[in-house]
Amino acid sequence: MGDRSMSDSELGALDAERLGSADVRQRRRNALTGALFAAPALLFVTSFLLYPVAMNVWYSFTAWRKFEGLGEWAGLANYQRLATNPNFEAAAINTGIWVIASLVLPVALALALAVLLNGARFSDTAKTLFFLPRVLAPTAAGVIWYYVYAPNGVLNGFLSLFVGPVDRGWLFEDSTITPAIIVAFVWQTVGLPMVLLLIGLAAIPRDPIEAAQIDGATPGQVFLHVTLPLLLPTILVVVIISVLAGFTAFDHIWVMAQSFPGKRRLSLTVLMYYEAFTNNAWAFASAIAVVLGGIVLAVTWLQAVLQERVDRMLK
Amino acid sequence: MNRVQPQHLDLSAIDWREVARRKRRLVSGGSWGMWLAVAMALLWMVPFYYLLITIFKSPAEFATGPKLALPEGLWPVVGNVSAAWQAARMGPAFLNSAIYAVTGAASAVIIAAMAAHGLARFDFRGRTALFMTIFAGTVFPLQLYLIPLFFSYQSLGLIDTRLGMILFYTAICIPFPVLVLRNYMSQMSREMDEAARMDGCGEFRLFFSIVLPNASSPMLALFLLQFTWVWNDLLFATVLTQSPELRPIMPALQVFQGGYASQSPTVILTASFLASLPTVLLFLAMRRTFMTGLTAARN
Repeated sequence: MGDRSMSDSELGALDAERLGSADVRQRRRNALTGALFAAPALLFVTSFLLYPVAMNVWYSFTAWRKFEGLGEWAGLANYQRLATNPNFEAAAINTGIWVIASLVLPVALALALAVLLNGARFSDTAKTLFFLPRVLAPTAAGVIWYYVYAPNGVLNGFLSLFVGPVDRGWLFEDSTITPAIIVAFVWQTVGLPMVLLLIGLAAIPRDPIEAAQIDGATPGQVFLHVTLPLLLPTILVVVIISVLAGFTAFDHIWVMAQSFPGKRRLSLTVLMYYEAFTNNAWAFASAIAVVLGGIVLAVTWLQAVLQERVDRMLK
Repeated sequence: MNRVQPQHLDLSAIDWREVARRKRRLVSGGSWGMWLAVAMALLWMVPFYYLLITIFKSPAEFATGPKLALPEGLWPVVGNVSAAWQAARMGPAFLNSAIYAVTGAASAVIIAAMAAHGLARFDFRGRTALFMTIFAGTVFPLQLYLIPLFFSYQSLGLIDTRLGMILFYTAICIPFPVLVLRNYMSQMSREMDEAARMDGCGEFRLFFSIVLPNASSPMLALFLLQFTWVWNDLLFATVLTQSPELRPIMPALQVFQGGYASQSPTVILTASFLASLPTVLLFLAMRRTFMTGLTAARN
């Protein structure tokens, strides 16, 4: 909110005191008109998004009975089941791997690309090339990579050039499937962090960098001590975007793990879908969704706190 | 340039050629850096290359030949397209995707613009609370909507209907544009509003013929963004539709799931290629608008 609207409302308050009811009426009309313009959006958001969230939280505390549906109070029973469910533990560990990977890989890669491309001659073309995968549907990207990883696919063909025949099923083994899907995910999503970091780099003032250069700093020192600290706010935004994207990844896993029997153990999002729509364990699945939502809210809150701290530090 | 020079600096002692070289190296990223970037860009294109050559191969050619070799001819693409088109019922699926994405994204952006106008250009108590309510629609993971939506849609008879799909896509595409457009509109001058009101312009006409045209470029970028989101959505389309006649393209591709033995990879990759074509072409045609929307938005 700009200064303008603040001063407007202050002026409005003064006027109301001085001029009396005519202005109060005007202000009331303002409120009514403003609220009426916002009403359709509010109606859509509350009935299709916020009401379901509230209902989901309620479901997670109830039990599901066949023919009776959800509704019988069950306290924390669904959450206790989470602790003992072996699939939940496996899925949570894999989701943890996703979070750590997306904390590091997209950010480091995007930062490297942004630094390499910043000011380079062909950077516009390169930007488009790295961004293009993002426009593909995750479903389509998943299908392409499914055949890259197939036993007779591109990856094995490439590896065979160096180490002799390879016919590994990358998407059929517990140890390789999650890293394989993460690589495809990073391939598709790195474009946005890269573009955001390029914008951040372009906004950095040249003066401190030139000053450091004249003082004889090496490019590495300039980057570490001048560029990186000034880029910190953008890096923070990029880290949060990638972590949340990795934490809630679904489509890529769903498509690429289609022939993997232990699919439901690959992430909390897939487990939630499986428990609800295959197993019909609606209340239990609601509890998983609540856990996902709680963690997302916590990360969002953490971002707000860190953002404020970084802003203060740079001032 | 108004830089403060350090007092102790002896300008004559500086090797200016060395400074210039350092600066050149930094600006261009060095030649090895450039080649590294080129190499990575080429690596990034391998999956696209793989996709593009495979759709021109016959199933037999794909099964026996080297996977990254160029196709022997171009004609097999006709067979692949027609097989993909029939197996995934792509005709109705494309039509449905177009209906959902255009209607959902367009109505969402207009409704969001109205809300942004109401919340940014009128001063009243409680407008921050109203904004936060709408903004809350951007923070939850999609999984939290899924089960209650499925149940409510069943009891309301909205499950597996076009209306139900459009209503949901409109709702989910509203909060983010409200956030962007509210920022944009609070920076637009209010003087023209006042002038129009003086001339007796009604509030609705004011919005549609003065505010809306002035916000058209961010609205277009947001429309493209939300169009792509709806087009690419797999999760909600899978849960909220069942019949093939109403399914959009992404869940339609799932007919190949599990039945992989029955269809050649060439056909399945052709189907994925066709399904992504509209959004990729849209992106290439309107690259700049798209990028501004995406980046201005997330910042």
